[in-house]
Amino acid sequence: MRFLRPHTWAEALGAKAEFPDALPLMGGTDVMVDVNFGRARPNALLDLTAIPELRTWAPDGDALRVGAGVTYARLVSELADRLPALAAASRTVGSPQIRNRGTAGGNLGSASPAGDAHPPLLAGGAEVELESVRGARRVAVEEFFAGPKRSVLEPDELIAGFRARPATGPQYFAKVGTRNAMVIAVCSFALALRPGEGVGTGIGSAGPTPLRAYAAEEFLAGELADRWEKRDALPGPVIGEFAELVAGAARPIDDVRGTADYRAHVLRVLARRTLTWAWADHCEGGAGCA
Amino acid sequence: MDVPSKGTAGGAQRTAARPPARTDVTVSVNGAVERIKVDNRASLLDVLRERLGLTGAKKGCDHGQCGACTVLLDGRRVNACLILAVTVDQAEVVTVEGLTDGTRLHPLQAAFIERDAFQCGYCTPGQLCSAVGMLAEAAKGRASAVTADLADDAPVLDEAEIRERMSGNLCRCGAYPNIVAAIGEVAG
Amino acid sequence: MTTDIERVTGTALDRVEGRDKVTGLARYAYEYPADDIAYVVPVPAAIARGTITGIDPGDALAVPGVLTVLSFRNAPPLAGNDPELRIFSSDRVSYRGQMVAAVVADTLEAAAEAARLVHVGYDAEPHDVLLRPDHPEAYVPEKVNPSFPAVSEQGDVEAALGDAAVTVDTTYTTPAYHNNAMEPHATLAVWSGDRLTAYDSNQGSSTARDMLAAAFGLEPGQVRVVSPHVGGGFGSKGTPRPQIVLAALAARAVGRPAKVALTRQHMFAVTGYRTPSIQRVRLGADASGRMTALAHEVEEQTSTLKEFAEQTAVPSRMMYAAPNRLTTHRVVALDVATPSWMRAPGECPGMYALESAMDELAVACGLDPIELRVRNEPEEDPESGLPWSSRNVVACLREGAAWFGWAGRDPAPGVRRDGRWLVGTGVAASTYPARRRPSEATARATADGRFTVRIAAADIGTGSRTALTQIAADALGVPPERVDVRIGDSALPTASLAGGSMGTASWGSAVAMACVRLRERLDGAGGEVPEDGIEARYDTADDIKADAAYARHAFGAQFAEVRVDPGTGEIRVPRLLGVFAAGRIINAKTARSQFIGGMTMGLAMALLEESVPDAEFGGFLNHDLAQYHVPANADVANIDARWIEEDDPHLNPMGSKGIGEIGIVGTAAAIGNAVHHATGVRFRDLPIRPDRVLDRAPQIGGRNL
Repeated sequence: MRFLRPHTWAEALGAKAEFPDALPLMGGTDVMVDVNFGRARPNALLDLTAIPELRTWAPDGDALRVGAGVTYARLVSELADRLPALAAASRTVGSPQIRNRGTAGGNLGSASPAGDAHPPLLAGGAEVELESVRGARRVAVEEFFAGPKRSVLEPDELIAGFRARPATGPQYFAKVGTRNAMVIAVCSFALALRPGEGVGTGIGSAGPTPLRAYAAEEFLAGELADRWEKRDALPGPVIGEFAELVAGAARPIDDVRGTADYRAHVLRVLARRTLTWAWADHCEGGAGCA
Repeated sequence: MDVPSKGTAGGAQRTAARPPARTDVTVSVNGAVERIKVDNRASLLDVLRERLGLTGAKKGCDHGQCGACTVLLDGRRVNACLILAVTVDQAEVVTVEGLTDGTRLHPLQAAFIERDAFQCGYCTPGQLCSAVGMLAEAAKGRASAVTADLADDAPVLDEAEIRERMSGNLCRCGAYPNIVAAIGEVAG
Repeated sequence: MTTDIERVTGTALDRVEGRDKVTGLARYAYEYPADDIAYVVPVPAAIARGTITGIDPGDALAVPGVLTVLSFRNAPPLAGNDPELRIFSSDRVSYRGQMVAAVVADTLEAAAEAARLVHVGYDAEPHDVLLRPDHPEAYVPEKVNPSFPAVSEQGDVEAALGDAAVTVDTTYTTPAYHNNAMEPHATLAVWSGDRLTAYDSNQGSSTARDMLAAAFGLEPGQVRVVSPHVGGGFGSKGTPRPQIVLAALAARAVGRPAKVALTRQHMFAVTGYRTPSIQRVRLGADASGRMTALAHEVEEQTSTLKEFAEQTAVPSRMMYAAPNRLTTHRVVALDVATPSWMRAPGECPGMYALESAMDELAVACGLDPIELRVRNEPEEDPESGLPWSSRNVVACLREGAAWFGWAGRDPAPGVRRDGRWLVGTGVAASTYPARRRPSEATARATADGRFTVRIAAADIGTGSRTALTQIAADALGVPPERVDVRIGDSALPTASLAGGSMGTASWGSAVAMACVRLRERLDGAGGEVPEDGIEARYDTADDIKADAAYARHAFGAQFAEVRVDPGTGEIRVPRLLGVFAAGRIINAKTARSQFIGGMTMGLAMALLEESVPDAEFGGFLNHDLAQYHVPANADVANIDARWIEEDDPHLNPMGSKGIGEIGIVGTAAAIGNAVHHATGVRFRDLPIRPDRVLDRAPQIGGRNL
């Protein structure tokens, strides 16, 4: 197994072009599980940990650009105010040890439907930055996932990072798992309110890919259009309809972690709860917290 | 005993025999600089245990699912089974063997004995390294999943915080309450 | 035992090997040094039943560093009577994951890579891996473990049930569970001529030695098994497992020391597990709650390789008074790995069903569940008629109720709320037999004023090394600092397994008596230790044969408080209290740890753990620690264990009962009963998963939350 360790982003892109079957390695928390047990036997590994620019984040216009090498631990400690749902989700990824190594960028690369970072990225309207020696492109997160553990990443491309607008309103992430910690989500849900603008959603572990609940977003945006300013209580039926539409957007299956029916039901509950919490925050005029 | 060996059994010629790719790595382990040639496929955990004779870090799952292999890599707690040894060039690794100051136990080690924070002892080195890393994280004001206020610079390490922050280390013997007590005592 | 110093048994002595364990210096099996070690990685069967049609090792042998590939094609036949250990003995596959080949290589990396390149051809046959009610192949075994009759009957249960004022007729199911000790099963085997040394992870080095000797046709004296530190077992290392045989085979094949550690995934296939069970319990009582009938009928699984019949209904033979009683066991031989021992085999699943049914009976009778149990307290062991050596279950229930704050509990189910959470409390009784087995020990005094005790006992985390140190110190009348206890090596005097909660009772008896003998010799020598030391030996076999006829059991009571989220079905256990009557407690610190550890496993049995069979391909679906949920630190909140003093002269020189297993018994029932109290719904299938709670949500009123 060849080991490639570029020290610049340009070297990394060059290496990926030369060895398209090289497996990119960031924190290693997904890749090494596959390597240790032979689900992945790459001819080459492309270690991206020595590339400083991947480990940075910075404002870029009205968005934040977060390098693919920023760990979950740093998302929690450095970006909780600007990307609260992503920070909240990052707090529940694997274990503290995993969070010290694992990255949202690497998590995108594995494209697991259960990846905890994906629903907040979807809800936050994030874009994934892909790059190869042929050039760079941006892909909306919902278009990035092509199927279970599959993405639109081309063989010569690498994930440079993602871009997301800082929260303008309350954001929440909620996850259900059987164990109290260190648990793969049975299902998860993220909600982002953008006062005066609209609503973002993200569903995890309830379909072949992470999903957005488009109809739920559209419905809620319509309901909230004249309520953003008024900040009055949301009628129960609105919350209920939103929850139904979220559950309806899921395409869950039965597996060891839970039944499809359970997932749909829990999504309803999580949608209802996160909306209740987020709207209450909005009404109090506070910034989002998660 | 009739045992097929290389070259005698059918099909042995199908794959060209290539020596395994190896890479030179310089790494500080418990303060000692080690220069070693590692198999590119080897995890940090296997190199510590099988090459350097540091068997304190344990292999419980090889998947980052149990925490028995927890070591400190450049001061942060990580699962050594999920780290390729070849990626730790120029890094600093501290294992449980490096927690002791000469013959003097680290306060966490002493507290683990006093509070009976282990039974079989197999998860213990990982628990200890994890606790050292956890206390450092808390000292930096890092929030956990149960920290109410993410902006709090100095989260109080109550039992719920310690339990959450130590949940990356499984203990099948069920020493959790004693682990929490031992760490709480040291955290003060 | 006369002593002129304060007794150390009963005190909270720190673990004597504690320093080694916290500094990482305690060596476990895989960690022993040897020159030129070869690494062994087994290849698991990919089918659940069938025949191997071919093994092509070519690609594996081509991997640099690979030394050989072992399989039934080239491995020498093994002897011994355990078919799970006669690896590579035929072309038959009896379960998915069974070892069908193994690669031996210079490095672990090479062996692991090559193991995936061993091409095994199969002729697969239809398989059946699912235990289900009234399976057509179910049969009544000749006996259940270890040697109980499969069926017992007193009076006329059917008639009594027909006449009973109050009846309960319910069926409970428990899934398969895996022991999942943190240390994977591992062995380093070193041959020296025809002598074999195995550094191995097991619950008894004498047993492992005898098995290895039998497998390789050697005398026990030619084999040594070394296991001073063992990273947990919980039963899975009681019966030797195939890795010890594999390491020895491989080492002999390549003429070098060889070692193997099973992967976590492979442990789910070849290291045993607790059988799933289907248990029907019928109880009949008069209007005052006095039971007239108790029937406990169990169906469970075994394998096609050998019969393992768990004694699940056995606790129902002694727990409560009832003039009419029926207990039965039926097993089904499926295309699965043979089930094996897991913490409190029999009592753990059986008491889950019985104690859940008792709670249902209490509700049906309108009685407090503690009072119901008190009313059905038997004067003597109901089936054998033997007197109890001591029985303090009522004291545990009463004391526990006071500590837990049981008094004034509103029995109405489903009415307590704290925010969105439904809150409830539950209780269950607990029991485990107190037995001992023959063991030998030596005690030696040396001229430097120190004492060395030798016995091939095992410390798998139980604290036995520490307890034996205390027992020896008291028997010798010296402080524990002057006693060295050597265990975990078959070269030491032969000892029984760490299992059945018999370890400390069995070994402690031998140690105490060897120390008493040594003191007598020392006294005979005028208290002077000769320059070359003085030694005494004791074998407890005759003492145990002469033990008077008593029914000997430890008892306990488990109390649980639960919170149920009716919206998501999530259950949390904020409070768990166990109260035990287990003879004299030898070490207050390690005993508490043992009880709490058992209770923690019981909590997980109730809510988290299950091994899900793979109906399509065989084996288990969730075969790793990300999917098989042993509890994490955050799952265990306020958990406490206490005990009541018990002075039982009919046990052993220490007056102790075993404590390793009783902690898990009854916990799951207490939690299930608390969930009923919280929600008003009975969940009779473990674990009580969130989706199962949600399926019953209309009855809880949770769908709208």
